[in-house]
Amino acid sequence: MIADALVIGAGTAGLTAGIRLAQGGLRVTVVGTGEGCLPLASGTVDVLGYTPDPVPSPLAALPAFLAANPDHPYRLAGTGGLEQSVAWFVKTAEPLGYRGELARNRWVPTVLGGLRPTALVPASMAAADLPAGGEVVIAGIRGFRDLHPALLAANLSQATSGAAAIQARAVELDWPGSAGDLPAFRLARRLEDEEIRRRLAAQLRPRLGGAAAVGMPAVLGRERAAEVHADLERRLGIPVFEIPGLPPSLPGLRLFDCLRRALRAAGGRLVLGSTAVGATLGKGGVDSVTITQASRRVDVRAGFFVLATGGFPTGGVVREPDGELREPVFGLPVRGPAAGEEPFGDEYLAEHPLDRAGIGSDAEGRPLGAGGAPLASNLYAAGAVLAGGVPWREKSGEGICLTTGWHAAEAILGSRREDAA
Amino acid sequence: MTEALECQLLVIGGGSTGAGVAWDAALRGFQVILADRGDLATGTTGRFHGLLHSGGRYAVRDPGGARECARENVILRRVATEAIEDTGGLFVTTPLDDLEYADRFLAACPEAEVIVEEISIAEALRREPRLNPRIRRAFAVADGSIDSWKLVWGCARGAEEHGAKILPYHPVTALVREGDRVVGARLHDLRGERDVEVRAECVINAAGAWSGQIARMAGCEVGVRPGKGVMVAVNHRLADSVVNRCHLTGDGDIVVPSHSVSVIGTTDTPVEDPDDIEVTPAEVALMLEAADALLPGFSRSRALRVWSGARPLLPKTAAAAGAADDRAVSRSHSVLRHRERDGVAGLVSIAGGKLTTFRLMAQDTVDAVCAELGTERPCRTAETPLPGSTGANYYRLPDHQREFEQGRPDNPIICECELVSEADLLEAAERNPQVQIDDLRRVLRVGMGPCQGGFCAFRTAAILHGHGEYERAEANAALRAFVQERWKGQRPVLWGQQLRQARLDAWIFQGVLDLEHVPS
Repeated sequence: MIADALVIGAGTAGLTAGIRLAQGGLRVTVVGTGEGCLPLASGTVDVLGYTPDPVPSPLAALPAFLAANPDHPYRLAGTGGLEQSVAWFVKTAEPLGYRGELARNRWVPTVLGGLRPTALVPASMAAADLPAGGEVVIAGIRGFRDLHPALLAANLSQATSGAAAIQARAVELDWPGSAGDLPAFRLARRLEDEEIRRRLAAQLRPRLGGAAAVGMPAVLGRERAAEVHADLERRLGIPVFEIPGLPPSLPGLRLFDCLRRALRAAGGRLVLGSTAVGATLGKGGVDSVTITQASRRVDVRAGFFVLATGGFPTGGVVREPDGELREPVFGLPVRGPAAGEEPFGDEYLAEHPLDRAGIGSDAEGRPLGAGGAPLASNLYAAGAVLAGGVPWREKSGEGICLTTGWHAAEAILGSRREDAA
Repeated sequence: MTEALECQLLVIGGGSTGAGVAWDAALRGFQVILADRGDLATGTTGRFHGLLHSGGRYAVRDPGGARECARENVILRRVATEAIEDTGGLFVTTPLDDLEYADRFLAACPEAEVIVEEISIAEALRREPRLNPRIRRAFAVADGSIDSWKLVWGCARGAEEHGAKILPYHPVTALVREGDRVVGARLHDLRGERDVEVRAECVINAAGAWSGQIARMAGCEVGVRPGKGVMVAVNHRLADSVVNRCHLTGDGDIVVPSHSVSVIGTTDTPVEDPDDIEVTPAEVALMLEAADALLPGFSRSRALRVWSGARPLLPKTAAAAGAADDRAVSRSHSVLRHRERDGVAGLVSIAGGKLTTFRLMAQDTVDAVCAELGTERPCRTAETPLPGSTGANYYRLPDHQREFEQGRPDNPIICECELVSEADLLEAAERNPQVQIDDLRRVLRVGMGPCQGGFCAFRTAAILHGHGEYERAEANAALRAFVQERWKGQRPVLWGQQLRQARLDAWIFQGVLDLEHVPS
């Protein structure tokens, strides 16, 4: 297998780099073990929410944040790169209607009823930017175990958005049809049936009272989500917003579907079910990467490689029983707690020394080898595999993936232009 | 405000010993109150490896203790069947072990009434294909796997059915003395936030590793020395039988199948404070390495969690001091009548022992109490099945799955790892008002599987809130407390796949739920 560029990892960072490179005219292959991290993610674009103080404007906060966190992955693309990559993303994911701006965080409800800061949301969550003082209805579905409207509404009514408290009221709907377990995928598929929507809306509408908007579990369709959402809003007569929850996440999967299409449209290729397990280095840098395909191992040669395998949750960085940290594809040194330092603290929700672990990179995003110099001139890294960020605490996950994926692609396209010149 | 209660016997400690005493005494017609500082079976009892001893472990070095285990094993299989999985056990001589010990073992077992049968290596490997193929001898024994929580609840429920009152989350703040007599205890009701004064004809100190602390409240001594034992659970049943190293004694020489996991244990380190038993990475490494001698590859499987318990060890000198003035003489446990030891009447302590002999310990204790009170009432626990065990059916892992499947489809699943349904959750919560999620974990095993609560903890808190068990703030606090509690057991084994899982959980709790910023 030969490509101009091989991207390892099919999450937000990998797909961003892959699409961008394909749009730049390269023959791109993206390989991924599964559907990346997207089914785990909320489908929002989190850029910077806490530093640890709440951030009203990611754009305004970024310079001071970078000064305080000089090793953060945001240093690679800077404020300009963030603006460009986010603008590019909104255009690329156009079918999902992402909205929002880097100058103002939106505070959107979690399934637990807190408000979480995020910069951009898909159209299905646009109405979640709750007006202060307004009444909202939280409509759960009996049998769906990942959104419990009573607790959500009770917590949400304690949260403050701006000056006045939100008034949230819980409603529990009976699912038309069978009772019992109603997993997210099943609900999403069934909601694409107009008759189900009619019956659900008929149940909900009389219970809306004077609510300004209604929040529902993020299960409003997959392939035809836009239609499901618009139809429910029409039937209920007020804005409807999805509240993302535990994996598997439909908003995340829709984004995955959307980016996969964008990659294909740009001429790129996506190979799922393939895990990168090793690499061969030559004089000119990385020659090839070994991937598994079914039970075979295949060497993929390419001019450029982008490592976007993610952090610990997706296996991009591994910790051995003896505490050694390892990057499994290229054997890159991993920056983490010092030898002998406890990797974890006592308080679960506090930051742990291991949280910022990852690989180091130069200003171009090229991973550093054991000697401190880039391992290879044609290898770049993007996303959560990079050291320095604490995405879940900062609420910066998608921002890091977008900017670094975009930055890696720009660096590769730039170096090709130099070669051509 | 102080509430006043009266009873004949106040039992302090809701582990297997205290619950066993309450059950035994209630069966004999005593009015009993049992108090524990936390939930039942949350001390040493809930923190052991889950082994029902055949006696084989002690046959060579302590034939008396082995005989007690062998006899109690037979009795418990009759009266506590619900809590027991009849796994059977093997003693195997690994290449690291002395072959000569196997002969001593085989000779010692019959003397100690331990039923043993030597089987061929091929037969041992047929029974347990993951066994070290280089073992040189193998012996089958009647070890079992026992769920100490079920056992304790069975005792507590049985005691309640016979009029006992069970007070969890009621730590003792003082023993009440009148002259040279203990006449009761002051308790603090942690959930009602009030004091309770209990007057009793006799107070039974069944606080295990904490019994020294209780005795000191009456100016008495109990010579218990807490001994830390470390356990590691991995996420598969790598063997369906209990597997023991056939050697005299050592660290990490028993692997017990427990529900859907395998547990390797244990160590024995003296500690000053039974509450200070943190597990070190070196101890985890030691356990995993030792397990490989029995089941090669054990250390490469996914370690789920780690815990440690504080054994209530009774040094020989203390045991002898107790035995001198006791009717109940045992090698492994001792009933101490403080009237005779310290001149303090109305207080009896039970020290030492092990879970397998808990019933005998209770019998000896209540016998001593009868003597203290000048009454004679025969023990009935050896013939009376615990509630839940009257059908005489052992617990079997697949039964739970079958029951669960029968309850569907109108019964949403809350914990996929351990197959816990919403109905199970609500039923358990109804039985235990003011329940914490960690209490439900012990009842239902919710949060015990590979994800360690990543998915089910949020659901549990929200469902209990939705059904009025929790106020809003209580639900948030319960969720926070549970994830913090689970974190303690995971920390020492976070590498490989389990770290990956733990990071996914962190993604859920921090990234998706933003638990940190939810209003309290």
